[in-house]
Amino acid sequence: MSGILDHLSIGFGVAFSLTNLLVAAIGSFIGTMVGVLPGLGPVNGVAMLIPIAFAMNLPPETALILLAAVYVGAEYGGRITAILLNVPGEASAIMTTLDGYPLARQGLANVALSLSAWSAFFGAIVSVVGIILLAPLLAKWALAFGPAEYFVLMIFAFCCLTSLLGKQPVKGVLAAMIGLSISVVGVDANSGVYRYTFESVHLADGIDFVVVVIALFAVSEMLEMLEKVAAGHSVEVTPSGRKLFNLKELALTWWSVVRSALVGFGVGVLPGAGASVAAAVAYSQEKRIIEAKDPEAKFGKGDLRGLVAPEAAATSSAIGSFVPMLTLGVPGSGTTAVMMGALTLYNITPGPVLFDTKPELVWGLIASLFVANVLLFVMNVPLVRLFSKVLSVPGWLMVPGILCISYIGVYAINAGTFDLLLVAGIGTLGYFLRKFGVPMAPLVLGVVLGNMMEQNLRRALSMTDGDVRVLFSSPVSISLWVAALAVVIVPQALRRLRKARRAATGQA
Amino acid sequence: MNDRILGIAALALAVFMTAAGWSIEAPFAYEPVGPRAFPLLLALIIGLCGLWLVYKGGRAVESNPAGANARIALMVVCATAYAFLFQWLGFVIATSLMSVFVGRLFGGSWIKCAIGGVVMSLFFFVLFDKVLDVVLPGGLLENLI
Repeated sequence: MSGILDHLSIGFGVAFSLTNLLVAAIGSFIGTMVGVLPGLGPVNGVAMLIPIAFAMNLPPETALILLAAVYVGAEYGGRITAILLNVPGEASAIMTTLDGYPLARQGLANVALSLSAWSAFFGAIVSVVGIILLAPLLAKWALAFGPAEYFVLMIFAFCCLTSLLGKQPVKGVLAAMIGLSISVVGVDANSGVYRYTFESVHLADGIDFVVVVIALFAVSEMLEMLEKVAAGHSVEVTPSGRKLFNLKELALTWWSVVRSALVGFGVGVLPGAGASVAAAVAYSQEKRIIEAKDPEAKFGKGDLRGLVAPEAAATSSAIGSFVPMLTLGVPGSGTTAVMMGALTLYNITPGPVLFDTKPELVWGLIASLFVANVLLFVMNVPLVRLFSKVLSVPGWLMVPGILCISYIGVYAINAGTFDLLLVAGIGTLGYFLRKFGVPMAPLVLGVVLGNMMEQNLRRALSMTDGDVRVLFSSPVSISLWVAALAVVIVPQALRRLRKARRAATGQA
Repeated sequence: MNDRILGIAALALAVFMTAAGWSIEAPFAYEPVGPRAFPLLLALIIGLCGLWLVYKGGRAVESNPAGANARIALMVVCATAYAFLFQWLGFVIATSLMSVFVGRLFGGSWIKCAIGGVVMSLFFFVLFDKVLDVVLPGGLLENLI
């Protein structure tokens, strides 16, 4: 117990330094604004800020605090438009629209906004406590991982991400493979051989991770925005009397918030599964539990419990997804994958050793997540109107602005034209992939994990002189294989089962 | 445009990766798995995904609303041209030009986009280059700013 307190005092020491507090506040603010903008979510915000944070020579813990604050801020911001306008600012806010928008239409916009800020805050706190208790244990356990276990763990992460993402896992697999292929480009670390560089000097160092992320999440996003350019959104909020939720509403939603926060944390800790999955799982769970015992539940038509469930779960899982990143070095979501890439820019490889070698970074980050959430909670209630004003920035100014900031970021890494051209090219490619329904998150995860995955595979096979049985030899790797298979098979089987049952009841 | 085309593209990528990766060989092989195995394994899986998609087919891609394709093509041109001109013309000029054309694509008027672009590029130049110390190319205006 005293160990935890020691760690926390280190962490809050870092978080409460003037620069870091300021950075956390700025990050939360920027994050909320990015989250409010439709189409831009945490990944986009974090991706655009990484190169800039790096170019500004921020120390690693400050940079990480900035990115974490933006991440959490965007999760908060995404729901403002979801509730007010029925436009989810990012993927995990889709579930929030289901009950949030009807509530706003009933004139309860302010109640819904403050209540969702509260549940997001509660989810965050549950998750931060979870990290404090769980992460050091997990990190100790992870120290026992050898290369074979790591390799299987990464396969598990990919399985989680692709199977939970959609109805067509094959496209998820394809995305992951494309990402891994991108990571192969450049000099091979073991043998010094050039791979897929085609004699180009610029490709010798490989394709920078920032280039890929900006291309996929800024440029191809813009191309997608052009499709919807005609659709205008208005910021007409139905006036509502009360600014805050009351105690009765708090009591009504209390257990939904608690349950959803725990579910969210659980999903977040799984490597690969992100906030949108957590929100969906929590919503359907609450719907099932509450509709079974409360005939007056009106999920989908403006039930407060349907509003708080995805909110608490999304934030809780967003923060929970730091656990696998910090302890295992395998990110828990698309956004943490991007942040892990940021750490590698600083030559820091996340993983179990980080807790011993860089305690100020790990605990500073954890403490800052707490601080950022408090700031956001305080900021969100009075500033909602201000944030929704962001929506009135017209597209003709916003899009050039995003493109400009993205290019500044990419230019800052190598100060060259080649990377910028690569961004334009990969961005266009990414747009086509999106059109075909290929998910972007596994692709990014592939780029981030590629080198580690290959190195671990080769190291594991070196130890046994090429015998693949090493990948199935230890209890840890066997259970990871089983878990990976289970994540692929169980959701599919459940889907089939549900369909069969629906067909059966339909006939009866 | 449906999944079959995606499958064919995946197959093409797999063939390309195999062809270009076949000749990768380490001069000193001291480990059982060399630099060639992993990319070829990836190519194999990409190929299998491609075959699956070609075999299954279906699920046509939603077609874009009228006029969107032309705009998207223009946007790609803008992004590429901006990349070329970023260093050559310098940040301020390139960004102003880009803002005008991209702004037009997103429905702004010529005058608004021009004013917005110039103000924005100057603002970002001062913010990043002068205040935040992120060096940006001066280009043609190198000696002026």
